[in-house]
Amino acid sequence: MNFWGIRLGSIGVAVAGAILVGLIGHAMGTTAERLIGLAGLYITLAVSLNLINGITGQFSIGHAAFYQVGAYSAGAFAMYVAKTQTYSIPLLLGSIVVGGIAAAIAGFVIGLPSLRLRGDYLAVVTLGFGEILRIIIQNTPELGKSYGMSAPALRSLPLIWLLAFLCIAVCRNLLKTTHGLTFLSVREDEVAASAMGVNVTKVKVAAFVIGSAFAGMAGALLMHLEGFVTPTSFSMDLSFIVLTMVVLGGTGSITGSVLAAITLFLLPELLRDGPTVPLVAVIAVLVFLGIIVGMIKKLIDDHKFSYAALAPKAGIALVAAVVLGFGSSLLPALNGVQVPSANLRMVIFPVVLIVMMLLRPQGIFGHREIGLATFLRKREVSA
Amino acid sequence: MPFEPSILMAGLDWPALPQQLINGLMFGAIYALIALGYTMVYGVLRLINFAHGEVFMIGAYVALFLSWQMGFYQSPGGAAPAYATSALPIILMLVLSMVVCAGIGIAIERFAYRPMRNQPRIASLITAIGVSLLLQYGGALVLPVSPPRSIREEVNPYVGQASVDLIKPSAQQLSALDSATKLDKEMATKLADQVKREGVSSEFDLSAEGQKVRNARFDAADALRKAQEDAAKSRYTLAVPKGQLIMFITTVVLMMILRHLVLFTPVGRQMRAVAHDFDSAALMGINVDKIITITFVIGSALAGAGGMMCATFLGTSITTFLGVEWGIKAFVAAVLGGIGNIPGAVLGGLLIGLAENITVWAGFSQYQRAIAFVVLIAVLLFKPGGILGSAKVEKV
Repeated sequence: MNFWGIRLGSIGVAVAGAILVGLIGHAMGTTAERLIGLAGLYITLAVSLNLINGITGQFSIGHAAFYQVGAYSAGAFAMYVAKTQTYSIPLLLGSIVVGGIAAAIAGFVIGLPSLRLRGDYLAVVTLGFGEILRIIIQNTPELGKSYGMSAPALRSLPLIWLLAFLCIAVCRNLLKTTHGLTFLSVREDEVAASAMGVNVTKVKVAAFVIGSAFAGMAGALLMHLEGFVTPTSFSMDLSFIVLTMVVLGGTGSITGSVLAAITLFLLPELLRDGPTVPLVAVIAVLVFLGIIVGMIKKLIDDHKFSYAALAPKAGIALVAAVVLGFGSSLLPALNGVQVPSANLRMVIFPVVLIVMMLLRPQGIFGHREIGLATFLRKREVSA
Repeated sequence: MPFEPSILMAGLDWPALPQQLINGLMFGAIYALIALGYTMVYGVLRLINFAHGEVFMIGAYVALFLSWQMGFYQSPGGAAPAYATSALPIILMLVLSMVVCAGIGIAIERFAYRPMRNQPRIASLITAIGVSLLLQYGGALVLPVSPPRSIREEVNPYVGQASVDLIKPSAQQLSALDSATKLDKEMATKLADQVKREGVSSEFDLSAEGQKVRNARFDAADALRKAQEDAAKSRYTLAVPKGQLIMFITTVVLMMILRHLVLFTPVGRQMRAVAHDFDSAALMGINVDKIITITFVIGSALAGAGGMMCATFLGTSITTFLGVEWGIKAFVAAVLGGIGNIPGAVLGGLLIGLAENITVWAGFSQYQRAIAFVVLIAVLLFKPGGILGSAKVEKV
């Protein structure tokens, strides 16, 4: 196959995949459809933040801000420019373009301080931009203040997933080019990169603009998916969750981000409908997990990890957990408290996060990618 | 919002400014107290301890539980115990909050941060976010949300105001005020009499005579309002709630103790050595683990004190998400002053407190939450290391 053949082929696969996802979602019913749509949006968010955070190494933790800019500018476009209450394809496409451009401008503005600030300072400034934006929107009557803003609703899964595929393709192709190497070099060492002739300014701002444009387009699609958003949907928690997806998947690994985005988004959603459990059992499980993780960590550190060595220790951990679980039931405050798992999901989420960081701090994939090459490549014989 | 220049020019209540500045200082002191914890941990470990705000929240809860334990909750409306009016319960609450929070701080450091110490910094940051979320939502499962009636009235015997009259209204203004009050009362009685005499129940259904009295009553009320405004304009009082004054003094005392500890004791010297260079300090025989634990103890105890005072003297209603807002503002304060720099944290805290109160005073109270970040970004763009911090030159 020649160059263009591969390109056209992959575009065809992406479109077919997006339509397939849309058909599957439609067949699974309204709730599942919405979840699959949101999952696609989270993939776009995680991969686009990975471009800023993981690939370029600019420590941005305010990604929800771009998402919000996209959503609100799409809503404003529908309400004030297009002035329509009903959905149409041109409106949707226009919204996506408007959302993307508005978020790209925001990304440019937020990217500029990154030229002077680095590390934690940049993190705080990006977080601060998000908060400022949220408060401004909360006080703007045209954008519905804290009550939220509505737009013509449309559930278009193929479009959402096409955007996700586009985002993945752009980031992946970027990494395969010389430009991508300049992005990586900025992450590894800014000073060395600029000494080698890399235009650090351009790379940093480009990362912010591209990443935020994708987040903005995702925001526009969210606005039309839900038909309604409020400023609270874009709080700091959302930024943290997206950042977590990036880190958990492995900073710099696109496939890692995709997998982590799907897992971390679906995990709390699946827990939402679970049964009510006694608090004592939750405490026992947490104690058990804590002890087990500590032991695995110790075994890994001592280079003596084997499942046989783990088994008796797991037994000890189980006994300790049961004892402590029952012990906590003796406390009057904890005795007999039943917890609906909808409340539990935001407890399990951080526990997964901490356990993951303790056991594998570089993320699931680290810097590696999973792709066809992983499976087609011959195993190298280890020495 | 349409821009109104009058807001910036004439609408400002200038005589109220000193009062707002004092309020700002009072709040800023609490921000500074929490910011010290951020800045100390960052200085030693180069880690943004996102769970610090949650330690603050736990301090507030300890104060709440202790106040219930001492019987302040069981007697709503009834007579508070005799010792409620003494300073003893407050000191007890303060000390216990600090002790419990110090313990929580040690646990967080030992089980969440120490295993991450040799990992990339983003891993410990994610762990910090995880611990923060765990304490917020895990706490929400177990801990009660404080009742609308906070612990303030019952535990805090210092509800009153300590006020100082800087300029008193003149005798002439006072007599005008007096006569206006008298006239107003007189007219109100006359009107009531009229209503009674005519045998109607409504003030709006009156004879021509009654109409005259009613108009006179409105005139009298107008005169009273004008006299009150005159008197208020010349009255120049600074009022500080006693509780906030205690808060401020406690904060200053704690900060001075901290300053002494860091500058003039062996532990402080070791702490500064670890902050300066981790590895060299270890090579010089300093027990780095111990010093980091002590740092967490001090920072968390200060956050606990802040939480206790916030719950007791400000009467904030306590939820497990209390730490998010206070924590983020205190963190902004720490960065503003130059993170890792102890005087910087105090300065940043005071600045944030002042900026917030000036925003409220200028009539933009809805933007109060945003102003901390606006100030931060404005300062960082001109001085990327914070006010007292120094921007580091990176070497290859």
